[in-house]
Amino acid sequence: MERHRPLKSSRRQFLGAAIVGLVPKTDRPVAGSFVHDSHPLGHRLRDRAAFQRPRQTLKIPVVIVGGGIAGLSAAWHLDRRGFRDFVLLEMEAHAGGNSRWGENEITPYPWAAHYVPVPDKGATLVRELFQELGVLTAGGWDERYLCFAPQERLYLHGRWQDGIEPAVAATTRDREQYRRFQQLIAGFRAGGQFTVPMETGARPSPLDRVSMAGWLRDQRLDSPYLNWYVNYACRDDYGAMADGVSAWAGIHYFASRDPEDKGPLTWPEGNGWIVRRLLAKLNRFVRTGSVVHHIAPQGRRWRVLTEQTEYLADAVIFAAPTYLAPYLIEGAPPTAALEYSPWLTANLTLDRLPRERGSGPAWDNVLYDSPSLGYVVATHQSLRSHIDRTVWTYYWALAEDTPAAGRRRLLERDWAYWKEAILNDLGRAHPDIRACVSRIDILRLGHAMIRPGVGFLLSDARRRLAGRVGALFFANSDLSGLSLFEEAQYRGVKAADRALQLLGGR
Amino acid sequence: MTFVLFLSVFLIAACGLIYELIAGTLASYLLGDSVLQFSTVIGSYLFAMGIGSGLSRFLTRGLVARFISIELLVGLVGGFSSALLFLAFAYTQAFRLLLYVLVLAIGVLVGLEIPLLMRILKDRFRFRDLVAHVLTFDYLGALGASLLFPVLLVPHLGLVRSAMLFGLINAGVALWSTFLFRDQLGPIAPLRLACLAVLALLAAGMAEAPRITAAAEDNIYADEVIFARDTRFQRIVLTRWKDDLRLFLSSHLQFSSRDEYRYHEALVHPGLAALSFARRVLVLGGGDGLAVREVLKYPGVESVTLVDLDPEMTRLFSTNPVLVELNAGALASPRVRIINQDAFPWLESTSDVFDFAVLDFPDPTSFSLAKLYTTAFYRLLGRHLSRQGMAVVQSTSPLFARQSYWCIVETLKQAGFRTWPYHVYVPSFGEWGFVLAGSAPYEPPSRLPDGLKFLSARNLPELFQFPNDMLPVQAEPNRLNNQVLVRYYEREWSAIAR
Repeated sequence: MERHRPLKSSRRQFLGAAIVGLVPKTDRPVAGSFVHDSHPLGHRLRDRAAFQRPRQTLKIPVVIVGGGIAGLSAAWHLDRRGFRDFVLLEMEAHAGGNSRWGENEITPYPWAAHYVPVPDKGATLVRELFQELGVLTAGGWDERYLCFAPQERLYLHGRWQDGIEPAVAATTRDREQYRRFQQLIAGFRAGGQFTVPMETGARPSPLDRVSMAGWLRDQRLDSPYLNWYVNYACRDDYGAMADGVSAWAGIHYFASRDPEDKGPLTWPEGNGWIVRRLLAKLNRFVRTGSVVHHIAPQGRRWRVLTEQTEYLADAVIFAAPTYLAPYLIEGAPPTAALEYSPWLTANLTLDRLPRERGSGPAWDNVLYDSPSLGYVVATHQSLRSHIDRTVWTYYWALAEDTPAAGRRRLLERDWAYWKEAILNDLGRAHPDIRACVSRIDILRLGHAMIRPGVGFLLSDARRRLAGRVGALFFANSDLSGLSLFEEAQYRGVKAADRALQLLGGR
Repeated sequence: MTFVLFLSVFLIAACGLIYELIAGTLASYLLGDSVLQFSTVIGSYLFAMGIGSGLSRFLTRGLVARFISIELLVGLVGGFSSALLFLAFAYTQAFRLLLYVLVLAIGVLVGLEIPLLMRILKDRFRFRDLVAHVLTFDYLGALGASLLFPVLLVPHLGLVRSAMLFGLINAGVALWSTFLFRDQLGPIAPLRLACLAVLALLAAGMAEAPRITAAAEDNIYADEVIFARDTRFQRIVLTRWKDDLRLFLSSHLQFSSRDEYRYHEALVHPGLAALSFARRVLVLGGGDGLAVREVLKYPGVESVTLVDLDPEMTRLFSTNPVLVELNAGALASPRVRIINQDAFPWLESTSDVFDFAVLDFPDPTSFSLAKLYTTAFYRLLGRHLSRQGMAVVQSTSPLFARQSYWCIVETLKQAGFRTWPYHVYVPSFGEWGFVLAGSAPYEPPSRLPDGLKFLSARNLPELFQFPNDMLPVQAEPNRLNNQVLVRYYEREWSAIAR
């Protein structure tokens, strides 16, 4: 009996081989993994794990904690005011924060924030930065940095339409409600309360005591298309559904801007381009791989501890996400009022482009009724006229659950689960997607962005945090309740100004 | 038993007629002149059947085995006939030869079938009944086939798969006969194996049929295809009809050798002849070397930089004897430097400055091509022109795509150029437009290189006159973030395309 076995199996193999030739091609294998996981380090900080004692002590007037846009903007501002006695401590191997980026043999690509709306005349700080970077010139906005046409498209009822406001099969009722919504928004815009940065315009408002979904109901705006569209905006900017976002914040998304050119401003690596350009100038102040694990007052100074160095600073600019404060800073104000949305970002390498009818991908490609936010094409801003490989950055805000439940789901599921979920989602609009994708890298962000719930914006808790603790200044954009480039830059610059004032006063 | 036998007759008759119809249809579809094609195909087919019937008297032994082999052969040859013909038309010059070889081969085999079958059956029926029944079912089969063909087969299965389906029926009849005539056969196993093999081949053919048709139909152009290749960037096809050579890139006509001199003389000379100081010339696009040929007529030009994305294009136009004759060996000139790169990033990366630039890109049919017609691109170009330098832009048709044409003019103006629009009639394209752009003043040249076939100093100023139906219309400038040109172009050309 034993002797027959090999024969049997070889016959099976033979038949298998013969039949394999006839079965349709199976899906190609997809490489990839989770990348840049930061939760292990975050959990060490939360659990107050033991850290090595530093071997050296350094006295320095200003320490900036956190190398995202807020921290880099603080550094940018100190530098241009001629103040160079400071360091910027970044816990990751690369600065960038929510503007971090990656690069492969095809193109650079973003890992999170990927555009800045074209600033209007009043956005002085942003305009100053963009003038310095050559984005804004005497002749206007440099065309190469304005998002190329076609900018957006939506997959709806089995086809792609231009723009993401649902238009295919919209009824007169839908269109009437779009119009009414736009009129209401125009009124808010004219009111001057919805500004960027928000601090300059925000006033106590009943709109902060109702959710965006509730406000739509109050206005009798019940068109399913309009509600989907508003929900999409809330998921995109706040990682939450319209019923979890303050109407003030929901309206801010639509009413805060009046761009002077068709934008937004974007780059292959997203806002990573700005970080790159800032680092080219500021790199000498940046200490990457510096995990700040304790900040405490010591006399008139602040002690800032990393595993390598103990810094003794006259002023500290805390530009890291504010929810970290209670774990790091002695005597930090309570942060329980801050809620953050969990996100997942995936970069998909496509070594073949999916078949398209019509004009092909836009920059931002959105699927109607998908839990995801769709994908952005990294090569869209390429000047080349022939592109046969690309990278798509796929965004998914886990908005349906509570933040805690979303974070649990984010960490519990393995890479294969998310890979399948992503390919199934994209497969609805691109049936041949599995033949095109060779790699999917996934970034999990447990606290991707601040979630401005009902009552948050105008709450005392938020305003207390936006203040200072002695010579420690909070600078993260989460203090604005809006996870925006402009807010981060504004908070960073403002904190830098206050630090300079403090030092000058001594 | 009797019924089953005559059903076979019915089926093989149907198969025979189907192959004939397919050959006739394919020939008229691909060659045109359906009366001629159908007459000659039917004539030679019937004639071949006669030959087959005549030859049947030489078959004396093992009639059933012979009949089965003939069925299998008909199934194979007939079943694959239309796939073979499609591919032969697309990839070879032997379509007609193959057509008649196949028609004759199938005809001879089909001609053998009925006499053989009658002789096999002769002992089972009275002669009178046999002849009557066989011929009745034969003609009935023909009727069935001729009704099925236009109503069901062509619309639903297509020519390639219809032929294969009937090949399967032929092979099926062969397999079935090994059971029907078991007592009149020797060893049966090899015959049945052969039947199964033919059935499997045809079934595989059925499965692959869509790919075959796609491969073949991609290749069908009106004229004889003398070269076809898929490169990384596009599909290059060259066709010839008599002395007319035509180049298609991804099925868009680029030139016809009969009138390309009008296009290329008009593209180069109005600008370059006016710049007596020109030493360095840039040609963007135009990997066919025809614009370069015109540029090389100026002895003062020291260097020509040709930037074309596709290395296959420049290789083909440097090596193929017919094409090298057409561009007068321009690409082999020591004055010419060839760069195979995407034009926009290349221009960004170079610091070279030119006295004259020729922009000979494909029409702005897509968002990616129209990047080369934007204010951003023209501004960049401006930084690579010498102070007195000029550029000329091929700008689609001011007649068929009037707003597109004036959009390109407006875009150049927005990018800071002064413009001098002009147009010319090229028979294979129609009215065609160009724009000269520069920052210094321009006067049409009074002297042109010798030996031009179309342009003369006398008719040149007329090119700058636009008749009423091509006069300027309002158009937005084309910018990277609006790409209005793509929308103008799509709307205008789809309005006139049929």
